[in-house]
Amino acid sequence: MADPRALMAQYQAGDAAAFRELYALAAPRLLGYLSKLSRSRAVADDLLQQTFLKIHRARAAYVAGADPLPWFYAIAHRTFLDEARRVQRGIVKTTDEVPEVAAGIDGQADDRRDEPRVDPELARAAIDALAELPVSQREAVVLTKLEGKSVAEAAEIAGTTVGAMKVRAHRGYEALRRLLGGKPKGAAA
Amino acid sequence: MSDPVDRALDALAKAPTPAPALGNALEAELAALAPASPRRPARQLAIALAASLVYAGCLLAVLTIRRDLGELPRGWLVGVGAAWLGGFALPLYLALVPKRGSMTPRWQAAAALAIVLSLAFVVLGWNVHPSGPSSLYYGWERFSHGQGCLWLGLATALVPVALGSIFLRGALPIRSRWIAAALGAGGGCLGGLLLHMHCRITDRMHVGLIHGGVVVVAAVLAAIIVPRTTDRPFAD
Repeated sequence: MADPRALMAQYQAGDAAAFRELYALAAPRLLGYLSKLSRSRAVADDLLQQTFLKIHRARAAYVAGADPLPWFYAIAHRTFLDEARRVQRGIVKTTDEVPEVAAGIDGQADDRRDEPRVDPELARAAIDALAELPVSQREAVVLTKLEGKSVAEAAEIAGTTVGAMKVRAHRGYEALRRLLGGKPKGAAA
Repeated sequence: MSDPVDRALDALAKAPTPAPALGNALEAELAALAPASPRRPARQLAIALAASLVYAGCLLAVLTIRRDLGELPRGWLVGVGAAWLGGFALPLYLALVPKRGSMTPRWQAAAALAIVLSLAFVVLGWNVHPSGPSSLYYGWERFSHGQGCLWLGLATALVPVALGSIFLRGALPIRSRWIAAALGAGGGCLGGLLLHMHCRITDRMHVGLIHGGVVVVAAVLAAIIVPRTTDRPFAD
């Protein structure tokens, strides 16, 4: 896998091919993040394009040698929140829309045929339950449990403290447990 | 992985999310792609510190040094001057220079410092304000006459705040207000240093509320105004 630092440096130097590689590397991750936050693939696609436009316009702010991915995620985070504020709701959600992230996962992508098949019912249940969480808890669960970020990385992306991120992730996870019918942590078996 | 939450999250994490092709707007911008210089935080910090100190020095040369300077305790003069100088440099460092390998400025430390500085210089000036025979006393009666110092302090803060906001354009997708407040507090401290060397009004109300108040007002104004510049690349 190409090094995002090197790609970012080449892109900043004016190499459009490096940007395309960077997009191929980062866009699926950012789209996954935005899809799980927004619950709508159409909205997430739009937010992804906006995010990369903003990255492009702010590329002079890149510090040589830094990992650009947390910065990309932070821009995606802000883009999502701006959109959420714009529609003046707690979450960005297309009414009566079947959650497309869950709806489209009963097959496998071409490049993931070796991986175990996804259980669409379980994924649908997860995304429905996630949608019930407040935005801050949903984002904490998405970043720490689904995107594989550490609590510190997640806090950096969301612009909060490590302690607050831990609390949000824990509360979100416990709320998911209630929604998905699991036993609370510490309960007798 | 028997826990239903873990199984459901695992299923969702494995759901493929193939990204769409680049949109037309992005393709159009890429077609006109021009090289951009990377941000060099250490160099920007050096420029901001040097240019601000030269500007403050020029202002002081025009305004003249306080007449009671030789009558005041040397330790207080040097100690408080060093505190003002540190209060100027440290927030600029935290705002402009991210941790190695990161692009995101240390907003938590910068925010904490902006708050501490805003309170500390008001309290310090209120409690420690020696005077000499040539010093002036305004008190509450003529408190408002000292407002010139507030404007002078804010004018001094302009250069570091403006430079910081230019240097950080596009670097702050989140928490830009706190970084801006730190820039303002740093600029306010430079204003405080200038007043420390220029103003001979030594009552606690003036030194605490006006000289210290410069830091508070500069931090608040910067938090309101600076994000308009730094956040511009993120506006729709």
